Amino acid sequence: MITIANLRFGAVGISSLAIGPGTTSIIGPNGSGKTTILKILAGIVLPESGSVLIDGAPPREIDTGWINEFPDRNILFETVEDEIASPLRFRHMKCKEIDSQVSLCMETLGITHLSKRQIRGLSGGEKVLVALATALVHHPLVLILDECDSHLDADMAGSADLVIRKSDVPYIICCTQDMERASCGDHLVYLENGSVCFAGTPESVFASLAGTPYYPLSWKCSR
Amino acid sequence: MEVLTMKITMDSVRAIRGEWSLSARGTFSEGVHLISGNIGSGKSTLALLLSGLFSSFSGSIDMEGVTSVMVSFQFPESHITGLTLEEECTSWGLDPFTVLSSVKLYGKKELNPLKLSRGELKRLNLACVLGGQYDLLILDEPFSSLDVQEKERVCHDLSLRKKGITIIITHEQTLFPRVDHLWEIQNCELRYLGGMPEALGAWRHAPGIIKNLMAAGRTPCNISPEDLLEAACRT
Repeated sequence: MITIANLRFGAVGISSLAIGPGTTSIIGPNGSGKTTILKILAGIVLPESGSVLIDGAPPREIDTGWINEFPDRNILFETVEDEIASPLRFRHMKCKEIDSQVSLCMETLGITHLSKRQIRGLSGGEKVLVALATALVHHPLVLILDECDSHLDADMAGSADLVIRKSDVPYIICCTQDMERASCGDHLVYLENGSVCFAGTPESVFASLAGTPYYPLSWKCSR
Repeated sequence: MEVLTMKITMDSVRAIRGEWSLSARGTFSEGVHLISGNIGSGKSTLALLLSGLFSSFSGSIDMEGVTSVMVSFQFPESHITGLTLEEECTSWGLDPFTVLSSVKLYGKKELNPLKLSRGELKRLNLACVLGGQYDLLILDEPFSSLDVQEKERVCHDLSLRKKGITIIITHEQTLFPRVDHLWEIQNCELRYLGGMPEALGAWRHAPGIIKNLMAAGRTPCNISPEDLLEAACRT
């Protein structure tokens, strides 16, 4: 369980929030604090006050996979295989084991053919898949995606969703502006002005957002 | 006084970037045009070609009656010149109060635009772009990074644009303005699919909602949320 208590960071303030395993979508207006919360959950920044615990441990003590809105801006190495191998190399894993895990990860994501390619020559969608592979190769406890679907076409977003669903990551937290995608998750959190307004299942949260632009169009068309 | 008809004609245009190329032919008349295509299909290259920022390898692009051109690219950072939001609006020749109030950013008027969230920055850029009158307005991925409220607002504003040629290039799958013409980039080629609603049947990149409505025999009149709801609720 992810538990947040009395959290404060800048304009973000959350008195209490519990998130169970599965896929959680965080939605809300621009500037509502979505990225800030993701950064806190990833341990990229520390809260000014309050606590965040993931299965009882602070974010910086657990393995996290992070993909931001522009994955190529986080990429460190030139070739696909070096980038995907990097989290394992930073952990000083044995070379043979690294090769085996990288190969398996690329095979699972269907990107083995890209292994020797220079990352700068890849398409935007291929870069997202490489970033996903890099985030997943060390089997993180939490996978965090910050609106990385915003710059993907439908085909590429579908491929990324498939990869994420097939992964064994216990907690997947994604921030999205695609309400259709948010409606397919296990949990939903709606933020406004740095606070949690609604949290629960997509059905319960969207019921509270009926009549707003956040209510999924497909639900409006089918109900 | 003679009123000039605006149009852009692409005649056997071919753009080449390394081993990749894009072919385009067709005419953009006055109205709102939507061009869809996958990532890497050449959408941004097309925006560069149409705005005169990239030269084609062969073919020609002729503009008739177009005296002013504005292009907005996907990443708003590249458009920023002001050190504050207020300065940014002024640099576009616009009244900061009017522009910033319209996008709920007036309270941040003294902030550096680069301190805004990405969505807020996109909102600011689009408000400045849409605050002017241009014969040719090219919007490359205008909806990326925007929240759904803002997407709806921008769609509404674009649906009202009746003068000039508006070209929206996007892979958006949920919210669209009402458009007059539909185009698609497929296999390195720009194809004109037609006017509304006739073009919908040939639209490969149509969102699932539209495909489902059409499969149920409920072809929407257009692609805005209101049109889709009307089709869904049609008896």
